[in-house]
Amino acid sequence: MINATLTEEEVGRLDRQIRVWGFEAQQRLGTATEVIKNIVLSGVGRLVIMDGDEVIEEDLGSGFFFRDEDVGKKRVDAAKDRIESLNPLVTVETITAFDGLEGPGFDATIRGVDLVCVTDWDRDGLIRINEACRRQGKPFYAGGTYGVLGYIFCDLLKHDYVAPHDRSVPKEAQKNIKLSATYPPLSDALTHRWSSLTKRQTKDLNPAVVFAILALWEHQKVLGQLPTGPDDVAELESMANAMISAADVKKQVLETIPSDLIQTLSETARTEFSPVCAIVGGMLAQDILKTLAARDPPIANFFTFDGNTGAGTVCRMSMP
Amino acid sequence: MSTAKARTAHAKAILGPVLHQRLAETKVLLVGAGGIGCELLKNIVLTGFGKITLLDLDTIDLSNLNRQFLFRKKDVKQSKALVAAQTAAPFNPNVQITPIYGNIKEPQYDLEWFQQFDIVLNALDNLDARRHVNKMCIAAQIPLVESGTAGYMGQVQPIIKDRTECFDCVTKATPTTFPVCTIRSTPSQPIHCIVWSKSYLMGQLFGEDEDAVGELDEAEKQGENAQEIATLRREAQAFQAVRKALRSSTAAGAAKLVFQKVFDADVRNLLIMSDMWRARAPPVPLDFDAILDGTFVLRTGEPAATDTAPSNGKVNGVSKTANAAASGSKAPVNGVASIDAGSSAPAAGSGLKDQKQLSLKDNVLLFVSSTERLAARLQAGEDTITFDKDDDDGLDFVTATSNLRSAAYGIAEKTRWQVKEMAGNIIPAIATTNAIVSGLIVLQALQILRKSYTKLRNVHLTVKPAVPLSTSTMCPPNRSCGVCRDTYAKILCDPKRARLGDVVKGLLGDDEREISVYEDKRILSDPDWEDNYERTLESLNVSRGMFLTIVDEEGEWGTVSVGLGVLPADHPADAPPFILPDPLPRPPRRVKAPLPAPETPPPLPLKRRAPDDEGGDDDIIDLEPTPKRPKLKAADEGIKSPSKKRRLDEDGLILMEGKDDVLDDDIIVID
Repeated sequence: MINATLTEEEVGRLDRQIRVWGFEAQQRLGTATEVIKNIVLSGVGRLVIMDGDEVIEEDLGSGFFFRDEDVGKKRVDAAKDRIESLNPLVTVETITAFDGLEGPGFDATIRGVDLVCVTDWDRDGLIRINEACRRQGKPFYAGGTYGVLGYIFCDLLKHDYVAPHDRSVPKEAQKNIKLSATYPPLSDALTHRWSSLTKRQTKDLNPAVVFAILALWEHQKVLGQLPTGPDDVAELESMANAMISAADVKKQVLETIPSDLIQTLSETARTEFSPVCAIVGGMLAQDILKTLAARDPPIANFFTFDGNTGAGTVCRMSMP
Repeated sequence: MSTAKARTAHAKAILGPVLHQRLAETKVLLVGAGGIGCELLKNIVLTGFGKITLLDLDTIDLSNLNRQFLFRKKDVKQSKALVAAQTAAPFNPNVQITPIYGNIKEPQYDLEWFQQFDIVLNALDNLDARRHVNKMCIAAQIPLVESGTAGYMGQVQPIIKDRTECFDCVTKATPTTFPVCTIRSTPSQPIHCIVWSKSYLMGQLFGEDEDAVGELDEAEKQGENAQEIATLRREAQAFQAVRKALRSSTAAGAAKLVFQKVFDADVRNLLIMSDMWRARAPPVPLDFDAILDGTFVLRTGEPAATDTAPSNGKVNGVSKTANAAASGSKAPVNGVASIDAGSSAPAAGSGLKDQKQLSLKDNVLLFVSSTERLAARLQAGEDTITFDKDDDDGLDFVTATSNLRSAAYGIAEKTRWQVKEMAGNIIPAIATTNAIVSGLIVLQALQILRKSYTKLRNVHLTVKPAVPLSTSTMCPPNRSCGVCRDTYAKILCDPKRARLGDVVKGLLGDDEREISVYEDKRILSDPDWEDNYERTLESLNVSRGMFLTIVDEEGEWGTVSVGLGVLPADHPADAPPFILPDPLPRPPRRVKAPLPAPETPPPLPLKRRAPDDEGGDDDIIDLEPTPKRPKLKAADEGIKSPSKKRRLDEDGLILMEGKDDVLDDDIIVID
């Protein structure tokens, strides 16, 4: 799609930048489906999709690449033709064999791409993939949804980009300036403390949703799975409250996690909802494209979405 | 029906069994199957809105394919609504989609038609249609979720009559205007030259024979420099001569005549006003022959050829490339569109031509060829030619003339591609913005269906790093809104037989107030002029889908708007040719506001002026020739309802894609 008004040389330069490797696993694929659709429409040169799972009936609720008769097939096999038909100029490769996140094979796969995006994964897995990306010097994106909540995390290492120096001046008078941002890996970001934020700054970042998601990750780590219902409310709540306290969040803003949020989340953390996937998948793809184009500031570095209101905020975790 | 029972498991867990069940019966109208519409249709199909009516008047264009993901190349020229429905139906076999290839403003989509729906979702790209749907939803008392996108920006607004602001409660941003002197005499930015070329020069040469002198009188009244006005008046008169030359069949030298008038004589006239150039660099008159034979020197010490290429060309090139990758839209849209338009130039070539920095000589040659092409069209019978970004002749003309003016004033020049973007104000439509906004629409729609009115939010997609999706709680309706503060009712009638007086008297019942009656902006009667009372509605061009608006002459009572519907098929032939609403509409007494709201709140963030403009700055004149403003149908053109007139003038800017976007030309620039 891109070459209509670009020279061969420019297209060549873009093509090197725009191979994206995405993969997803486990139950949910709504966010991945949205990201894949958006990335393919954008005309990215090549997309490698890695997924070892088979289509289940629940996938039909958010996975518009699948039909009733696809249930039981490998997801990537069922979706490949429909993905490719979105944009004949994009090459889509699929990988169904999954030999773990450790080892030289995995690093070799990352080496061949320009950017890695992981959706709906658990915290430890994200940390490991993030580390592998760091070893290979590749930008890393993660995103996912839990019912009506969603998040995006990115570690873009040292990212250089151009942006207008001042949006308040007329477009014609704007000059682009080069900027640079240094990102921490997820493992460091998770140690972030909120001590330095004012009450107002804290409130603006919708901390309840941030800690709800962090608590879900903790729950998944400690109990081996996301909450499954009312029985998990107490555990999830105490995890969230402990994390809020440890992060030194301004007590006047958020001392304990709202219990209605935790109750809803205990019921819905394992679900995904098409409109929420569209929003998080849209934000995620948009940011990936900004990063690849090295234009405009990307997310820095933890975006959370609250589907109860439609609010989306970005918390700088362990970033100045 | 889908055989996969667990398909709905997640949606059911999130919505709860009651709303989930109800959703299957919910009738939703989705207006628009373009950028937002495709995404939105996918979302509501997957979410399980059971009965979807999808309406769009457009057909699929090649340039849509990179973001409207329900369309394929084979679908080009087909109805958007029909193809979108076909592609999205298999996403969830449990829902029923009824596509309509039509215009939402057609009369059959009247109040009664709107009232069949539980909720309406707008996925439109032009202000006119968005306002229309807003009014119909207000009148029909059907909740609406409004939306719009522009580049990376977007917003979603739930609208419920009497509970929230409606789309027209808040003045929409008016087109950016510039001080008349900046455009006519002292441009300092490329956009000033582009506006001059597109809105002034093109109109003077190829547009209607306008009353430029009257406009200048007005400017003089507002305190503009009198000497300058006199100069401009001479200029306007001189235009008559070149206009004639362009329209005569012996127009071989017309382009050169235009050039000498516009870029030489007019510039020299301006130079006479030495006051104007005390603090500014004066413009340089351009010499047609000298530029063509290569002997012209624009400014001492600067050879003409290099002077025309701005030093930031490289930076621009890189950023455009990056932008194209990010949006995935801009570059291919141009290339594809020119193929589609049957342009004689090959796609790649036109693409390169678009991005090339033109030399002064290139611009003169482009000026001559485009002027000749436009003149030939006038001679072939075209009455007037106004700027259209997709009209190559006009775009070439604006590119060349704005660049020549820029050269004369020492302003950076622009490529044809940049001029197209600025003049047509094409904000690249970005697929991801549409995807995000469409998700937000569904979430607000679900709050409406839950009747969780306190949880409704206006959501804005912004470029603020910490708050990319910002929300605000709902505002109550604007007390002086000319749309949602009216009292609405529905009358079924046969316009062939129903007379205005009978209908109005019937609607008033025993109410004996003095009133005026309008249809949209047309006045049909007032207390001293009831001549039309004996005429049938049909003879007054009042028909199905329109509103009769009854305005209290004293302004003490609210306005009544009555939507016209059709009589039921079994209506007895000998009965009166209309059925009055029951009960009759009774407007509330107007609450007098302590201070009237300003007619047009100043659009501060959009208003800008050149840093070097001084004196007389407060007199902002909109130079737009407004070629596409709606024209009044009836003979009563001069008389307009004040509130309606105001709304008409506030037509603002919202983008972007879709060739039916009639407002394109009213837009100058958006940041």
